[in-house]
Amino acid sequence: MSERLRLLAEVLVGYSAGVEPGDLVVVQGTTNVEPLLDELYAAVLRAGGMPSLRATLELDDVLLGEGSDEQASWVSPADREDIEQADVWIVVDAPSNTKALTGISPEREALQQRARRDLRERYLERALRGELRWVLTAYPTQAAAQDAEMSLAQYEEFLYEGALLDDGDPVARWRAFAAEMKRVADFLNSKRELRIVAEDTDLTLAFGGRTWIPSEGRENFPDGEVFTAPLETGVNGEIRFTYPAVFRGRQVDDVRLRFEEGKVVEATAARAQDFLEEMISVDEGASRVGELAFGLNDAIQVFTRNILFDEKIGGTVHLALGSAYPECGGTNRSALHWDMICDLRSGSEVYADGELVYRDGRFLAV
Amino acid sequence: MRDQRVARLGELIVDYSLGLEPGKVLRIDAPPVATPLAVEVYRSALAAGAHPYVHVEPERLPELLLAEGSDEQLDFVSPIAKAELEAVDAIVTVWSDSNTRALSRVDPDRHQRLIASTQQLAKRRWERMSSGELGWCGVLFPTDAHAQDAEMSLAEYERFVFRACHVEEPGDPVAHWRSVREELAARARALSEARELRIVGPGTDLKVGVEGRRWKPADGRYNMPDGEVYTSPLETVTEGEISFAFPALFHGREVDGIRLRFDGGQVAAAEAGRGREYLAAMLELDEGASRLGEVAFGLNYEIDRFTQNTLFDEKIGGTMHVALGSSFEDLGGQNRSVLHWDLVCDLRAEGEVFADGELVWRAGRFLEQPQPAVEHV
Repeated sequence: MSERLRLLAEVLVGYSAGVEPGDLVVVQGTTNVEPLLDELYAAVLRAGGMPSLRATLELDDVLLGEGSDEQASWVSPADREDIEQADVWIVVDAPSNTKALTGISPEREALQQRARRDLRERYLERALRGELRWVLTAYPTQAAAQDAEMSLAQYEEFLYEGALLDDGDPVARWRAFAAEMKRVADFLNSKRELRIVAEDTDLTLAFGGRTWIPSEGRENFPDGEVFTAPLETGVNGEIRFTYPAVFRGRQVDDVRLRFEEGKVVEATAARAQDFLEEMISVDEGASRVGELAFGLNDAIQVFTRNILFDEKIGGTVHLALGSAYPECGGTNRSALHWDMICDLRSGSEVYADGELVYRDGRFLAV
Repeated sequence: MRDQRVARLGELIVDYSLGLEPGKVLRIDAPPVATPLAVEVYRSALAAGAHPYVHVEPERLPELLLAEGSDEQLDFVSPIAKAELEAVDAIVTVWSDSNTRALSRVDPDRHQRLIASTQQLAKRRWERMSSGELGWCGVLFPTDAHAQDAEMSLAEYERFVFRACHVEEPGDPVAHWRSVREELAARARALSEARELRIVGPGTDLKVGVEGRRWKPADGRYNMPDGEVYTSPLETVTEGEISFAFPALFHGREVDGIRLRFDGGQVAAAEAGRGREYLAAMLELDEGASRLGEVAFGLNYEIDRFTQNTLFDEKIGGTMHVALGSSFEDLGGQNRSVLHWDLVCDLRAEGEVFADGELVWRAGRFLEQPQPAVEHV
């Protein structure tokens, strides 16, 4: 375990974040991932960077349960300064209980999301200008294994396989995979519109003029998708998401959305529909699609209730409600960014500008 | 399950030590092992209407930095940490170790370099504290490592710590510390009238000049637990000798059986058992290291034994301590040094202290209660 953890840290620091001597590197995570934080700290030092560790406790349940609205909307100077000053921001997201916030009212949750919107916009802005490189990663915890319905040992295997750390030279493997993703992105960049057809799904998304970007293990790790920001008013039709939509530990089952001119006009769910509705109404941008993406990582095959992995499953497509990535040309702004996944591995077709280009989870001609 | 003693301690720090007001920004610094106390301080701060956040420092970081870091990395002070220090209204530092000797074998020069680099932020923190802009309290959270140093089980040590903070039993610890504050303030006022103290005990007969110096109560606002009154003595007056019954600890190093002889305020002879060379090296650090920067009475009678932790040892009820090195400017002290090393002298069995020739303290107790503050006004 500790040797693989060290390898994970080396790849995150050397390949994903590309830490250079003198970089101010914020390493953020909760204390339950301390072994990885320690390895990242050491790896940053070896790379000549200046590590600034931001270890925190999992206190949102206390804050949202016991604090006032004003306290719940407060953003600490630590959060602001990290985003303002870091050259590199490495975030390990791995709660020790993924359902700790289930008992919090959706309104309170929405309040906190809104309060943090400036932070999100600020780091996206700095990233767009090339001032900040960020990478989000995971850590094998019992909570994550439990959500994935695996033992911890099985989950560790799953994580390291998905991260291409299980065999050979991981950086070489990521470079090869990146070349493959770039071909898909180039292909999609020559198109203007996609139509996705699957069970209870017939959705058209226009993206002419926007950029598809291959996600090569720099900002997410593990990784493996190509993504864009569809036109804000160019989404029409309906989609049924195969997997439960999970946001901050809250699970919404069987989400179905109907769009007209880019906006959600109908949203239903088999479970937690109130939470879905609350999130969609967080702000104006929350009811529009900020991201459209294809999952391309074939080393990730099963749903594990962790979006970092699920959205990369080879043979899936996902949409995110809420904020768009400006580097794609997206203009939608929101405190929300909620990814929802549709499995296309059987009985599905995708048309690009009217031509069949993808069937049953595979691009036909790329 | 919540330990109610820890909950009471968190509340005591927020309500009494810091007196935290609504809207104030509180940063709680703690290692992972002190999470239960960090959470309780956080909760109490929320209840007080403040804006708390917790900054956790994993314990291995200094070791990793010393092992892997270049000189430039050792010297680096994060601009983020600097900005945060300006942005907060109060800081709670929770001291707690899983291993109090984890850095005993690191390269001493590199360690000094790292300490010097962390001093930059510490200096700025003191500036903001002195000007009243920043509240601060340091508190210990009990662990097996501290219990091991104290030669106790963890359960025994927890009782020891929580008794010293007056949170072991349900009750009103804030009221207790308020009365301690009054009593120590009165004691400090009385001592501020003395010109000279003579301390007599086993291997000890020392005269210390304190004329014109102000005595200050340490009443739980900056440390928890607390309980002492202290001043900075005149720099050129200390005469005689003093023996320290307890081993003296400094940065994880231990020196046993220290005896010092003073002449004209300066150490003229120093003896010790184990660690004699270290003592000699410390005395030679600079001009001020061989003079006293502090003299104090330990007055927390819940602390009744030596536990190899200065936070507690210097407050043992019935002891006195002196510190070699830097003095307190705000009390009139003029001694400057990079050193401030507290040495504890046990006077509980047969000690006597005379103030201007009059016996004021015997066997670890002041003979008379000081005048209450109201009659003083």
